[in-house]
Amino acid sequence: MIKDIPIIAEQAQQPRRTNPLAHVFDELMNFARSRSLFMLHYCTGCGAIELPPAMTSRFDMERLGIQPMVTPRQADILLVTGYVSIKTLKRIILTYEQMGSPKHVIGICSCTVNGGMYWQSYATAKKLDEYLPVDLYIAGCMPRPEAVISGLQKLIDNIKHGKSDNWKDYYQRYDHYLGNQQHLFGNNWQTPTDVIGEAREYGLFGPQTLGQHTELLESVQKPLQPLEMKL
Amino acid sequence: MRPENYQAINHPPSHEYELNFGPNHPGIEGNYALKVKLQGDQVVEAHADGGYLHRGFEKLMEGRLWIQNIALVPRICVPDPVPMEMAYSLAVEELGGLEVPIRAQWIRVMQLELSRIAAHLFTFGGHAATTGMYTTMYWGVADRDLFLDLFEELTGGRVYHIYNIPGGVRRDIPDGYLDRVTSTLDYLESRLPDYDNLFFTNQVFVKRATGTGTMTQQQALEWGVTGPNLRATGLKLDVRRDDPYLVYDEIDFDIATEEAGDAWARTLVRRKELQQSIRIVRQVIERLPSIGGPIRCPIPNPLAWNVPAGEAYARIDSSKGEVAYYVVSTGGDKPYRVHVRGPSSMHAVQVLENLVTGGRLEDVAQIMFSLDACPPEVDR
Repeated sequence: MIKDIPIIAEQAQQPRRTNPLAHVFDELMNFARSRSLFMLHYCTGCGAIELPPAMTSRFDMERLGIQPMVTPRQADILLVTGYVSIKTLKRIILTYEQMGSPKHVIGICSCTVNGGMYWQSYATAKKLDEYLPVDLYIAGCMPRPEAVISGLQKLIDNIKHGKSDNWKDYYQRYDHYLGNQQHLFGNNWQTPTDVIGEAREYGLFGPQTLGQHTELLESVQKPLQPLEMKL
Repeated sequence: MRPENYQAINHPPSHEYELNFGPNHPGIEGNYALKVKLQGDQVVEAHADGGYLHRGFEKLMEGRLWIQNIALVPRICVPDPVPMEMAYSLAVEELGGLEVPIRAQWIRVMQLELSRIAAHLFTFGGHAATTGMYTTMYWGVADRDLFLDLFEELTGGRVYHIYNIPGGVRRDIPDGYLDRVTSTLDYLESRLPDYDNLFFTNQVFVKRATGTGTMTQQQALEWGVTGPNLRATGLKLDVRRDDPYLVYDEIDFDIATEEAGDAWARTLVRRKELQQSIRIVRQVIERLPSIGGPIRCPIPNPLAWNVPAGEAYARIDSSKGEVAYYVVSTGGDKPYRVHVRGPSSMHAVQVLENLVTGGRLEDVAQIMFSLDACPPEVDR
């Protein structure tokens, strides 16, 4: 893990919980969540070549309760395997915003940490945690299946102890992430997901959720239209 | 309803709709997308949508030293990286006038064929998964791992080896390595009947793959198809035989061909190539102990190596098709221009678009896997 991973400084205002058993319930939920993780089946880069060995007979990820899942809405983990080109990064952000909370992002390979082999390339985004809150990095080019599995075990431990909460950071500091995305994709960048509304809904509306970048977003944003199905 | 009784009703044009097949789709190979226009479940039109994996390799290589590029080239094709570094090394050797020692050439042949076996096992797994047979995927990937172990012992890397440098190979084979290769090959050969029963003669696969994505020999030549996909249309064209590089002219092997040109034939050609590769590696194991000598020829200081000016074109046969490098040097310490001719940039764009059109939606993934396209190489 590197130092740049943002740490949530101040807790957002949450409704006061009066149930004395809420704490116990939280721990139970964290335990249950840590033992059943669905990993989004999206091969974003060359690190994906070490995922089939990790998933299949020899290293067998399923013994940890981790399975690939094809739709983002049912997935818990977004594995970003390797370099992300600008075109892919747009899809990754769209996918991430579609996933239901709690969600976790793992950056595999050196390229997600600092650009790796392609630090000179004009086509890749260098640091993933500028655009998405990353929970865990697995460094290496490319990390062995053992390293992938040990990283996932670390994530399981973190979830179990309630320490893997970086997805909240995306809502609490949305302005920061949106600013970096706008810097890369241009001022017209928008996604169909209403992140600000979700932040209010989840009670994660922080002081840095809104800012100059979200103002820019609201000025260019087109109202969301229901998708038209032509059949 | 059986597929042969299925008659698509010709809907008016408004009944067509578009579907994004990829990039986040379990049926697509890697990070790649197809935009398909559908009528019912028949594909009317398909457009390949690449660029998700573009890293600008050819530009990056112009900014790095000749020897640094060796670490860069295997990343172009992830499942089968050895031919990439080999073709680049051959081109640089041609420019620099380097004479590769015989022992290094035999080691290179062994490495190429082991890489081909590993890549084919991986493809069978992916192809079987698109027809719903996941056991083959689990077996294929697990057996491929044994070959990755061999690579790890030889080169230090499981996937990216960076073992060939211009002038030879980086280090000699370890003690007892050839015995371990033999035992792994024996194991794979003993598994082949199981694979036949599970996948290649399985009626689920045979019925779905026969007649799917058929191309004629004429079409294949027009579209620039190479490698196993071309040999599946009945043409005996193999760079290893027609334009021998390394020591392939001293090796006895057959060129696997099939006549049908459909997904079934393409898979069967790969199945036959697996046996031929085993045969080639066995010949290398037989010959290698009797060949002594150095494993690389002396090269100038690699950090200040000015390769003589000129142009070179080296081509070799990989598991995906013909890989070629066109390298131009102006006498500097970095390449002036490197062009990569990858097989997948034809297979996954024009060939895939043409083969998918007129077929059905559930066959799109199967056709893509039967062509064995490699998206990182398409985008580069």
